[in-house]
Amino acid sequence: MTALASARLPESYRRRTMHEKEGRAGYALVAPTTILLSVFYLYPLLQTVVYSFTDWNPGAPGTTSFVGLDNFAGLFAPTSGFLSALRNTAIIAIVVVPGSMAVGLLFAAMLDGPFRGRSFYRTMIFAPHIAPTVGSALIFSYLLTPLGGLVNTALEPFGVNPISFLTTEPWAIVAVIVFIVWQQTGYTMIIFSAALSTIPPSYHEAAKLDGAGVVRRFLSISLPLVAPTSGFLVITGLISTLQVFTQVYVLTGGGPLGSTKTAIYWIYEQGFQFFNGGAATAASVVLLLIGITVTAVQLKFLSRRDTVEML
Amino acid sequence: MTISLEREAAAAVPPAGSSRPARPARRRRPLRRLLPSTLRHAVLIVASLIFFGPFIWMVLVSFKSAQEALSVPPTFLPTEWHPENYTRLFEIAPFGRFYVNTVVVAVLSTAGQVITSLMAGYAFARLRFRGRNLLFLVLLAALMVPFEIVFTPLITLLSSLGWLNSYQGLIVPNVPSILGVFLFRQFFSNFPTEIEDAARMDGAGVWQRFRTIMVPMATPMIGSFAILSFVYNWNNFFFQFIAVNRTEFFTVQIGLTLLQSQEGASNFNLLMAGSTLAVIPVLVVFLLFQNQIVKAISGGLR
Repeated sequence: MTALASARLPESYRRRTMHEKEGRAGYALVAPTTILLSVFYLYPLLQTVVYSFTDWNPGAPGTTSFVGLDNFAGLFAPTSGFLSALRNTAIIAIVVVPGSMAVGLLFAAMLDGPFRGRSFYRTMIFAPHIAPTVGSALIFSYLLTPLGGLVNTALEPFGVNPISFLTTEPWAIVAVIVFIVWQQTGYTMIIFSAALSTIPPSYHEAAKLDGAGVVRRFLSISLPLVAPTSGFLVITGLISTLQVFTQVYVLTGGGPLGSTKTAIYWIYEQGFQFFNGGAATAASVVLLLIGITVTAVQLKFLSRRDTVEML
Repeated sequence: MTISLEREAAAAVPPAGSSRPARPARRRRPLRRLLPSTLRHAVLIVASLIFFGPFIWMVLVSFKSAQEALSVPPTFLPTEWHPENYTRLFEIAPFGRFYVNTVVVAVLSTAGQVITSLMAGYAFARLRFRGRNLLFLVLLAALMVPFEIVFTPLITLLSSLGWLNSYQGLIVPNVPSILGVFLFRQFFSNFPTEIEDAARMDGAGVWQRFRTIMVPMATPMIGSFAILSFVYNWNNFFFQFIAVNRTEFFTVQIGLTLLQSQEGASNFNLLMAGSTLAVIPVLVVFLLFQNQIVKAISGGLR
């Protein structure tokens, strides 16, 4: 008994110091990510919230004073243009998210299972997602140019007069939306493909024996089983459309008459062109709240298990 | 999926049976089987043209004259090839310098992302330390808040560090990668613990196990993540665009917007040459490593 106890003591002691050592190593291993994230992300996030209640000017930081909710009141004044930027962002999100998901799911379903040319088609459709946005947007601005652009040239035989897609309403926002769907479809396709490939073939075979056709099997088997994936894509899609800037900057410059100006574009103008840091950070806070709300609502709809799986 | 299964099943039946039932099956094939298959290929060919065609058009137009780029009706191949469009590009703006900047920023950001997220991913998956779960929850929340929200104070911060118009300013804020931490945490969590436990029993410390066991086993995942983050870093625009305003620190993407404002709507051949310079390296990397890229992207799910 005493022998056993004395044998155990050094062992448990050894184990405890080992755990302490492992704990210290754990902190050391997560330190680089945590510190960099705190400095370049959490600290500016905190500043964003604080500055949103001040008249902060990024060009002359010495004179900042507290102004309460003035910035937020200013955002929702009709002259600020923020509400219309928010509306434009919402329009883009409402069309792009379901649009790119529907097209991506269609392609994923068509590309499921082995057949000749499958990986070729997948490569072609996925390429726009991987290409740099500025380069792709310049191609689109060329394709959409009124005189000599490929799209207008193709429309001419149908008696359509040349359209200045990027400088007239409502075409400009349509062009921006089409461009983003073109970019995002490859991504949704890949994610849906991964989800579809996890469905056991026996499900489809059993349904086929019961006489279910292609469409019926898609609606009754594939669609419900990719539902958690759709939830994930809605969240990531909405968050990425909240950030739309580059596409608009290159294609339309926010015009015509601000009809394609997105929320981030508005914030960029306020912060970097008008040095109105208070308005810029207040708008950031509003976007942040929208993002959190959207995510929370989505997570509520997804079941707990799906959420864990998603992460 | 459903279509192909049908075809597989149809293909599987004849060899299993005798040659007799194969005949009527083949006769029926043109109508019932070939139609969906042809339809599928037709749709996918059109889709390929819409999604990839613009890049082919970009390369072709980059060799045309400015007039031919806008000619009606358009020509497919350049009637006269103008490779000098590319040399003109380098005269208009220092694209060579832009290239070097892009490569430096993309390579170093990627290296930083791989190293830091590999370390953190391993720690979150395998080590127990106080506050681990709380810290991980904070990362989780941060993933949902896009960087674009915080850029105004971030730029002031970089300015007060003297990091605007510098390589460190372009690279260091990009290094922490929450997505990378998730990917590697997931990877290490799914890994059997036996080998590491055996090494621990033999007295191997954390760092030794990390270097000699975990990192070598994670090599395929490291490759996938490195390629994906290289592509994303190469393509990054918004952050670089606001962190830099001196031409000597421009990347290719910023150089393109400069070119757009200088050459405007008249010289689309030059704009397409510039786009080609920006797009082709990424497309080549993508074509070479698309399986790894796809794995890293869809791996974020599971």
